[in-house]
Amino acid sequence: MGISRRGFTLLLSCGLASSRLLAKQHTKQPASLFASAAQRATGQYELVVVDQHGGVQMSHPLPARAHHIAAHPHQSVLAAVGRRPATFIDVVDYHAQQLVTRIKSAPGQHFYGHAIYTNDGQYLITTENEIQSGNGLIVIRDCRQNYRVIRQFSSHGIGPHELKMMPDGRTLVVANGGILTHPDQGRKKLNIESMQPSLAYIDIHLGELLEQAHMPKEYHQLSIRHFDISPTGNIVIALQYQGTKSDDVPLVAFHSQGQALNFVRAPDAVNAAMKQYCGSARFDSSGEIAAISSPRGNLVTFWHAKQNTFLTSIISRDGCGLANTKQAGEFLISTGRGHCYRFNALTNHKQKIKLRLSSQLAWDNHLADL
Amino acid sequence: MSLRAFTKHCAVSLLMLISAPAVHAEVSQVQWMKLNQAIVSEHVLPRYEQLALTGQKLEQATQQFCATPDQARLSNTQTLYIDMLNAWQGIQHVQFGPIELLMRSYTIQFWPDKKNLTSKQLNLILSNAEPASLTPEYFQTASIAVKGLPAMERILFSESPLQQLSDNKFHCDFLHAISQNLVKQTQETLNEWLQYQQEFSYIASEEGAYENAQEATIDLMKAQVEPLEIIRDLKLLRPLGKTQKAKARRLENWRSRSSLQNIRTNIQTLHHMFSGPKDYNLYKLLIEEDSAALANNIEQQFISLNELLEELPTPLYKHINDPKIREQLLQATEEINQLHAELDKSMSFLQLQLGFNSRDGD
Repeated sequence: MGISRRGFTLLLSCGLASSRLLAKQHTKQPASLFASAAQRATGQYELVVVDQHGGVQMSHPLPARAHHIAAHPHQSVLAAVGRRPATFIDVVDYHAQQLVTRIKSAPGQHFYGHAIYTNDGQYLITTENEIQSGNGLIVIRDCRQNYRVIRQFSSHGIGPHELKMMPDGRTLVVANGGILTHPDQGRKKLNIESMQPSLAYIDIHLGELLEQAHMPKEYHQLSIRHFDISPTGNIVIALQYQGTKSDDVPLVAFHSQGQALNFVRAPDAVNAAMKQYCGSARFDSSGEIAAISSPRGNLVTFWHAKQNTFLTSIISRDGCGLANTKQAGEFLISTGRGHCYRFNALTNHKQKIKLRLSSQLAWDNHLADL
Repeated sequence: MSLRAFTKHCAVSLLMLISAPAVHAEVSQVQWMKLNQAIVSEHVLPRYEQLALTGQKLEQATQQFCATPDQARLSNTQTLYIDMLNAWQGIQHVQFGPIELLMRSYTIQFWPDKKNLTSKQLNLILSNAEPASLTPEYFQTASIAVKGLPAMERILFSESPLQQLSDNKFHCDFLHAISQNLVKQTQETLNEWLQYQQEFSYIASEEGAYENAQEATIDLMKAQVEPLEIIRDLKLLRPLGKTQKAKARRLENWRSRSSLQNIRTNIQTLHHMFSGPKDYNLYKLLIEEDSAALANNIEQQFISLNELLEELPTPLYKHINDPKIREQLLQATEEINQLHAELDKSMSFLQLQLGFNSRDGD
């Protein structure tokens, strides 16, 4: 393949970013702990990177509220994705502390708040809405071509939200939340009576649907928005119920390719306390324990992934963001009240992480571990 | 004071003088605790006591009426039903703590009932007339739609309740069974709140329900602010509908003609929570933090909204289609919006984040 002059410049800039990374590591900057979208007490939205000592390594002002932060696998680059129905992604180098580029969605499309880098770090994949039809899209951008769109195809559902790659590096999993929205009507849900959420497995090379797990009819109002994939390809799903407030429904499900969705329930009192809403899902580093946050219920529940059973829960007020650490069973939890905790579901040890923040801020829905 | 320190002191004072008024208040944990304790002891607990008490009275009246059904006893039961409903409307805004457990809140009042479940399930139970459905065991597993105030209202305020209840002993027995369930729910909630009260008596805790007093304040302040959205959206806008033709049966408790009184009680309750507790309250805290304008604004808005509601005629379901009344009700939703905005302003001034992810997640 020939390299255009433009392509070459971009290649060069990618190279620069990695040499910066080396330079920073050389100066013994404390290692990063996590990145998250946040809101300052002043109302300003930011992308914030926190180091191992709880200090702020970088804060980058954002044009509006972001949702999920995608971390580049090899470089000190983060993509802060605007929250539905935003049309921006800020790509930021947190060592160089500068904006690499601001991606705008194509006319007639908007982002849903989630993106991932491919394992080789060459592409950024997003979930988007084709506004006119309301159809969900998967959009692939080439990082080496200043995030130019190189391909897009159907997400095979309405309202695609979180997306992740299976361990094979080729099968993309997409949570089609099922909820239709239109930017002209803000975040209003337009099809609650007929929504059909699903989990779609898509071959990223061919853009072909490999498998789709649908909600059974009685649970069609359980929106699939967030999930995580274990190192062995097991999937845990955090559900959000759109039906009547007093309905008693399961809020967590597991899925393995080729099988039906496997709904699991916490004991009745805990299930009710989850208030029909789960915000984030995350496996620990061993893939054996799953954490599910329920910010409306002020708690996080923990589950045995193999046995598909409830393990324990802890109070976490307005807690939503989850990340894992290298320790088996250990998670980081961030809250809308600006706190951050380390909790090990195997030892039940909870520790508040001392953050050194210049002013009060609220951590947004998701954490990216770095 | 050394000259150096003095100079520094002057410089700092000067800086404070020329800088703009504080955007945020710095409230101490002691202040939060004082606020929590005042609200819990002077506002929350007396209202749960009132709820449990009215529940007992309603149960006794129902029992007497079912033993000897006559018009006087029916009227008495209806009056005491309205009393209990009113007590519930006066504490319905607290949606955390013991009321959250075991679906208690929904058990006491399942509303709005968009699929008309109360009617459907109640009719089934009443026509089956199984003696087992009168037992506490049955109530443990029965649908929440038939266990609380809306189910009682359907029986007590049907077209000819005296005849219905005299002719069908089982209907009356089931009515009484619901009232017994309400006694149980409200008494247990009160008992547990008497325990839960302790959670508001510390400024910081490792073991308690709240990490610090401010966290507890956030729960209380959610009860101060969030119900305004429910009153506006479910109790006013939903029955008003988008077109000129209102949907009167979407009004809360239209059968017992209580829709407007419910809203009045809700607003008076939130007003009391704001400035009622004598020891300390949110109004006083805002004044202390140099935000008298905001405090007085909110106080005035409560008064004005209350006056507007007092002017409206009852029962609302008969008047809701009158264009003039519709206009006034829309005016009330507008005033609720303004009040909500001012309360939001005070939360942000006091640096109380009521729920970033829980109220507006994705």
